[in-house]
Amino acid sequence: MRRTIYMLVAAPLVLAGVLAAGSANAHFVPAPCDFITGGGWVIGDTGNFVNFGAHGGCKHGEFWGHVNVLDHAYNPPAHLRSTNITGYLMDPAFPNARDICGEGVVDGGAGSFPVRFRVRMEDNGEPGGLDKFGLRLDNGYDLSTRELGPPGQTGGGGNIQLHKENPSTTGPNPAPTEADMCGTLPTP
Amino acid sequence: MFNTASNYYWKVTGVAVALASLAAWSGTSQGQTLTGQASAVTAVVLGNVTSLADSGTLVDPSEPVGTGTGTASIPGLLSAEGLNAVTMGWTDQVASEASLGNLSMTVGGIGISATQVVSRALAVSGAGGSGLTNIDGLIIGGVPVSLSGAPNQTVSVLGLSVILNEQIQSASGIVVNALHVRTLDGATDVVVGSAKAGI
Repeated sequence: MRRTIYMLVAAPLVLAGVLAAGSANAHFVPAPCDFITGGGWVIGDTGNFVNFGAHGGCKHGEFWGHVNVLDHAYNPPAHLRSTNITGYLMDPAFPNARDICGEGVVDGGAGSFPVRFRVRMEDNGEPGGLDKFGLRLDNGYDLSTRELGPPGQTGGGGNIQLHKENPSTTGPNPAPTEADMCGTLPTP
Repeated sequence: MFNTASNYYWKVTGVAVALASLAAWSGTSQGQTLTGQASAVTAVVLGNVTSLADSGTLVDPSEPVGTGTGTASIPGLLSAEGLNAVTMGWTDQVASEASLGNLSMTVGGIGISATQVVSRALAVSGAGGSGLTNIDGLIIGGVPVSLSGAPNQTVSVLGLSVILNEQIQSASGIVVNALHVRTLDGATDVVVGSAKAGI
């Protein structure tokens, strides 16, 4: 009986541990590192335009890139500009996608304040309508990942390109954990 | 005798391997000249050159270069947002990309706007260059204009030369200009979304 109770308690704990470990390891730095680049616009949840231009990858043992996003739900538009890229990750479940994490500043109609951000960019071929973009900030802002379109359902436009790996460029060694790169921000 | 022959063999082999390695090394990194650059906007007005979001020049596969900015303008000529320009090299190819959104400009008194502009250039060693242009929501002089998909699409506009998806091929690669507008008198020359790649 005691053993049965132990098993009933232990099994969920082990399962939870496996799931947690799986979650923690779900995103990792591609090795060799590659690049993702793109510019475009999507329709926000209130029908507003959200424009972006971004690129990310690795360079000289560090993460590298720039991210600019303008959300026209605010007047003037809220502008996220990256000041430091802290992570570049891939998710095996979405091999065409990369996440760029970093620190930045938001200026505009929403005020001016520092943030941590996590961008998802996904390349699903040409001419780019099926590519996807999303953004999450640590202040609660969440633009869920969505198609640029057309023909996507959410409208928008632009193009994202996932470039092939480049052994000439390297990321940090050892690669940091997802939490080190992105804090507590999940994929948008 | 056996040892002497063996030493000679290894010396010859060593030299051959070293030469082969040197040749391979020079063939992929030192022997290849990489050229890459991207800019969201380059404008020449009465001889004055202004660039917005210029990536700089690619010099080495380990040195991708890029830049981006939220909003930018050239007073009296144009404004745009979400500008992005990047160029990257590999030992066997170069890729460059420029993009911007919410373009609004006036050239020769003609209003030109676009929701999104993207240009991309790719040069692969031994295979030449290829390019791609996306322009969404293009309006010239109040008239919507669609991109045909063909390179070097011209649009007839009084007093202007307008080329969409301009692709300039060379022996080493390609320059892709998403939107190239010039006044016929040569006073103003604006390239929006320029990506260059060569190897």
